[in-house]
Amino acid sequence: MALDGWKERLFRRYLYWLCRPARLRRRLTALIGEGGPVHTSVPLPDGGRLRVAALQVKVKLSKDPLDYASEVHRMVREAASAGAQLAVFPEYNNIQLLGMLPGVEEMSRAISDGGSSEERREERGNRREGSSRPAVTVADVIRYVGPVMSQFLSVLYSTLAAAYRVHVMAGSFLLPDGEGVVNRAYLYGPDGRLIGTQDKVHLMPVEMDWGLSAGTEFHLFETGVGRVAAPVCMDATFYETFRILELMGAEVVMIPIANPEPYNYWLALRGIWPRVQECPVYGIKSALVGSALGFAFTGRAGVFAPVELTPDGSGVLAEVASAEEEGVAVAEIDLHALREFRLNHPWRDSNPELYVRYFPSVYQA
Amino acid sequence: MTDGAKGDWYTMRVAAISLAGLPVNQLSDYAAALTGLLDRLQVRLAVLPAHTSFFLCAAGGHVGETADFVESYRRFMQQSSEWNKRFLATHSDLARSSGIYLVAGTTVEQADGLFYHTAYCFGPDGEICCRQRQTHLTREERSLGLSRGVELHLFDMDGTKAGLIVGVDALHPEVARIFALQGADLIAHTGALLAGASVRLQPAGMWAQVQQNQFWAVESQLRGSICSRAFGGDCAVIGPCEVTPGSTGYLDRQDAERPFAAAELVEADRSRIRSEYPLLRLLHLDAYRVLPQLYMQDARPDSCNRPLACDMEGD
Repeated sequence: MALDGWKERLFRRYLYWLCRPARLRRRLTALIGEGGPVHTSVPLPDGGRLRVAALQVKVKLSKDPLDYASEVHRMVREAASAGAQLAVFPEYNNIQLLGMLPGVEEMSRAISDGGSSEERREERGNRREGSSRPAVTVADVIRYVGPVMSQFLSVLYSTLAAAYRVHVMAGSFLLPDGEGVVNRAYLYGPDGRLIGTQDKVHLMPVEMDWGLSAGTEFHLFETGVGRVAAPVCMDATFYETFRILELMGAEVVMIPIANPEPYNYWLALRGIWPRVQECPVYGIKSALVGSALGFAFTGRAGVFAPVELTPDGSGVLAEVASAEEEGVAVAEIDLHALREFRLNHPWRDSNPELYVRYFPSVYQA
Repeated sequence: MTDGAKGDWYTMRVAAISLAGLPVNQLSDYAAALTGLLDRLQVRLAVLPAHTSFFLCAAGGHVGETADFVESYRRFMQQSSEWNKRFLATHSDLARSSGIYLVAGTTVEQADGLFYHTAYCFGPDGEICCRQRQTHLTREERSLGLSRGVELHLFDMDGTKAGLIVGVDALHPEVARIFALQGADLIAHTGALLAGASVRLQPAGMWAQVQQNQFWAVESQLRGSICSRAFGGDCAVIGPCEVTPGSTGYLDRQDAERPFAAAELVEADRSRIRSEYPLLRLLHLDAYRVLPQLYMQDARPDSCNRPLACDMEGD
């Protein structure tokens, strides 16, 4: 394993000390204690109506993990103040903690697999042929620092969910899992317990180059805020994700994103919005924005619904105005209205004979 | 027009026509006007919208006096076999005389005692080169007694693999995915979205299917009224966002001045983006292994796990 010299091992002990739960809890107690939680007992949905918050987080590398904890606390508190019973954080929501590593900005090249597109392609080609391999890969870095982050993140999001009595989808984290590294979303309940996780199933090519492992199944969680799921970013590009979850019974699908390209309305439209129309569910998109590690992330967090369930027929219930700055989009969703809509859907249909005739042979082809 | 060279480098000019502004009371007037428009557009493929046959039949006064769309459609269904002889012959002649591929929109097809909502494409020789039944039905279509098709047909269009997507099949992504995985280069879509709120759904149809499958689409939407029911979608020529101006996904869209959309498809552009961003290679088949079982156990209220004509008795 790379990054396993005595200096690295010593430094990791320092990181464990920096991220120790007692230190984090002291900070959280102080933060939460400042006026106490805004809603210590946010009621769970009655009549199927609930408020949800899509968070848009501006990435900032944190040398001290407590700075990151303070930022996360501020956003959970803001969501709870707005009456949200579910707060949704974005993809890669732990890369801020890479700021603990010295020289992390210089590591940008390794993270982004820098250089021109042509150079990147050439490097990928060389690597596949085994002729060249970076000394330290992204997966190596995550394997090195992941165990430290994992414990810290668990305490942080669990504590905040319980303190504010909200469901918190913590976003997705790059974390080690056995020999592999995954992009994994975490969902916490209002009692602070981990409800479940979801590994990103459809990886971007650059994530494959980083050495990430893809998830192989989609999970549905029965919660106090409905039947929810949390596939990650690129998973929304493929209708299969939403169809599987819809057929499993999903009512709310959360999509954390971290899109490393300039914002374009049409490019952004290729994800959650059409999926919500195809498979009638509520959709919550959370976005990481800002620059870090050689990437400039953009996106507009929002809450989406079938056009028939939005007052203006747009399919958008709430959306952050800026694609580059922090924000929160809060909206009320109505699970009973969704169920009623599905019962009387004007155009939805299924044709199993067609699917059996062509699937899975066309997939195999 | 197609330049004749195939592979990645051909170009093809295509158009989607909404029927707005065309005289529709007499088939002969309609054919003459459409011929004139096709002459002006100079395309290799033209696509007409869904309900073209019903539109012409009703406008010509052949379904009797009624302002009720559903009642009018029922009457049309009963006489569709007879009417189709004229409808299909007219469009066969149009395709042959213009020397183009012409998707004539849709009509009602009767076969083995069942009714289907079916699109027809004629080749430059005037022969039918594809007949495609709609495979997913709206609630209203089910109540009218239409049946679902269960096959999707690809056909050769000057070396291009083409398919037809009919009506709300555009909103059921399984259809586009099956076409794409069988190698479709181009989809002609014949649609008829209701004016008003339904139009907001349009990007979830062919536009979204193009983006997740990276084929071309020529989308024709009906503009006009049949028996007091107004239709208001936009015709468009659609490609992957990366190969279109402003990354909009549109090569052309109909506007207030033009009841059609027309554009040149440059296959090299599509080939490039499919090489740089090979979406279909990123499908995760292992994760989809549950789909067949989920489809068969589909417990959605409006699901139909029975084969053909399962809703003949209506809702």
